Amino acid sequence: MPGVEVNKQAPDFAIADFNGKEFRLSDYKGKSSVLIVLNRGFI
Amino acid sequence: MMQLHQDHSKFIERNTEIVVIGPDDAAKFKAYWQEHQLGFHGIPDDKHSVLKLYGQKVNLFKLGRMPAQMLVDKEGVLRYVHYGHSMADIPENAEILKLIGSL
Repeated sequence: MPGVEVNKQAPDFAIADFNGKEFRLSDYKGKSSVLIVLNRGFI
Repeated sequence: MMQLHQDHSKFIERNTEIVVIGPDDAAKFKAYWQEHQLGFHGIPDDKHSVLKLYGQKVNLFKLGRMPAQMLVDKEGVLRYVHYGHSMADIPENAEILKLIGSL
């Protein structure tokens, strides 16, 4: 399974949030930092 | 997740968006977000497209997906990548906030 590495460009993605609104990583370029949290799932 | 919720304002002060992506469906996300009044992004990825893109580790012996955190700076560059080895292996917010402060 591929992973990502520090100091490399973050792979862009666009995906709908739970309200159906699109979240595109590159929309935040030049505006803010983004903390991506990959969750395991709710228990 | 609640740790992030408690410190959300500190991330906002540092101009940092928090986006939580998980394998659950939209209904489960919505219910969890409403129950806990979470203010950051919640993204259901039941097709595992982003989870695979970012290489979330799956541990068959520990029954499932391991948590992971990445910090992307304003230029779109990854400045921090942490793949957890267990459910409890989640970095402290203080560690990430310190890093954001150093960018």
